[in-house]
Amino acid sequence: MGFLQLEQVSKLYGEFAAVRDFDLEIERGEFISLLGPSGCGKTTTLQMIAGLVTPTNGRITLDGRDITREKPARRGLGVVFQSYALFPHMTVAQNVAFGLEMRKVAKAERDRQVAEILSLVKLTSLADRYPREMSGGQRQRVAIARALVIKPPVLLLDEPLSNLDAKLREEMQFELRRIQRVVGITTIMVTHDQAEALSISDRVVVMEGGKITQVDHPYSLYEHPKNNFISSFVGKSNFLAARAMNEATGVSLRVDNTDLKIPATGSYPGGELCLSVRPEKIRLTDPAGAMLHGPVSSRYFLGNHWLLSVSTPAGEISVAVANLGAPPPSEGDITGLTWNIEECRVLAAEQESALQS
Amino acid sequence: MQKNGPFALAFHTLIVLFVLAPLIVVCLVAFTPQNTLSLPWDGLSLRWFAAVFHHPDFVASFWNSARLALFSATISTMLAVPSALAITRYSFRGRDALNALFLSPLIIPHLVIGVAFLRLFSFIGATGSFGWLVAAHVMVIMPYALRLILAALNGMDLSAEMAARTLGAGEWTVFRRITFPMLLPGISGGWLLAFINSFDELTMSIFVTAPSTVTLPVRMYMYASESIDPMMAAVSTLMIALTGVTMIILDRLFGLDQLLVGKG
Repeated sequence: MGFLQLEQVSKLYGEFAAVRDFDLEIERGEFISLLGPSGCGKTTTLQMIAGLVTPTNGRITLDGRDITREKPARRGLGVVFQSYALFPHMTVAQNVAFGLEMRKVAKAERDRQVAEILSLVKLTSLADRYPREMSGGQRQRVAIARALVIKPPVLLLDEPLSNLDAKLREEMQFELRRIQRVVGITTIMVTHDQAEALSISDRVVVMEGGKITQVDHPYSLYEHPKNNFISSFVGKSNFLAARAMNEATGVSLRVDNTDLKIPATGSYPGGELCLSVRPEKIRLTDPAGAMLHGPVSSRYFLGNHWLLSVSTPAGEISVAVANLGAPPPSEGDITGLTWNIEECRVLAAEQESALQS
Repeated sequence: MQKNGPFALAFHTLIVLFVLAPLIVVCLVAFTPQNTLSLPWDGLSLRWFAAVFHHPDFVASFWNSARLALFSATISTMLAVPSALAITRYSFRGRDALNALFLSPLIIPHLVIGVAFLRLFSFIGATGSFGWLVAAHVMVIMPYALRLILAALNGMDLSAEMAARTLGAGEWTVFRRITFPMLLPGISGGWLLAFINSFDELTMSIFVTAPSTVTLPVRMYMYASESIDPMMAAVSTLMIALTGVTMIILDRLFGLDQLLVGKG
């Protein structure tokens, strides 16, 4: 039994199901990300855990206690909102102290705890500022401090980094993880940014259309996506139309005109299949003897790597080439492509067409 | 910002002059030493200002108006806050109708409202009652307070209230500690606007004031319909100054654009 458990939780708005049959067990101290495109139900799920939205069906238990219908004030969870939701008429210290005041903590004790948490988020010197006098990153820290100071059993973060610029976002991402580790708090973060989810979570929950599509550790999620949606949403991927040559064992796949021997990792469904290969897993080789070959149609320099698009008989293939000094072939040059067979995923083709429609 | 060309600048100056000319003339006339309405060509005098302060009716009417505006602005603001909350936060049957009803005194001519109140007051025997005068003023000035508070509520980030709830605050605490302070600029702006409108109101007040409750605008109207002397200009100048100072305070505190146009 998990520390925080969601069983068959659904939220219906009339006919529309924002979240459907959500099942998840979260262990104490885990950092979980809910990842998905906008409208996938991730924020609704978070709000149901916070108590700001009442589930239509299902049960939420926290440490064995049923909190499905409990008011947010009684749940005592820490919530960091996307807009930070700081109280503009209060100073940083007053903002942070609010939750303690509600808990009738005595003034001296309150001051001590506020000072302690402000030093954790490195804001001690700004305690008397008002939110409008602070930068986005600083406000973010205040919001985190305000949520953490009440020592909640669970910390809920709604797109916490989306309002920050790229450089700051990267910094705050690791800062968030540091704080989470120091406090050891069970954390659930909603995000649409896969890089964010992969880099700091223990487990990632991928959602699509109100349902969970995969729950996994970041590395396995990236390396073993369950369907095309996940492999295209989590990182980037090339999809090649394929066909199983031996349907019984599914060990040989026909991609374009080449036969690829794929190690048997289970039986593949018969008929149309789809092969997913990550751009960074593809190597450039001599056109002769390569799996696929064709002219480079575009080439972009992205600093630490080059992004190439190669026109092959199987379609446009993206290739990421690490910047190791020597520039890769330029536009128009013919190049060969190859990759380790173990590093591509075989998926059913219907999923892709369903996704594109 | 784009700069005006010489033609546009001249045009704007003319418009501003056109709008301000009557006020400027009145203010100048107030300083005349003559017994007739004339511009002070031969020296300035404060004798007409002195005359205002020595005229017991005017002084009494000023205090009547001030008291009336204070009460009616406060009551209408106290009514407007819950009304605005209900209209913006909840959806219920007849919400739009209620909103329209609250704002309707803005479009019904005050003359009509005045006649209606006159009939009502004589029917229920309330003629001359200060309390009922306040009630009549509350009705016509509440839309001003309501509009500003509605604008403030519409521009408010609801997540601050949600955050307070997750931190353990009950509904009343959320209102007292979060919603009300965040709305305060809108509320005080609404109060001031309501105050000015009550203080200036003439058309309806003519019908519903009794000799003991005559307001300053009504007193001026009565005085001016009998005789015209520079004392009227002095009273007008005082009122312009009072309104002007209030407007400057409003602008300094909240920005007039934001208050009168709303945040959109």
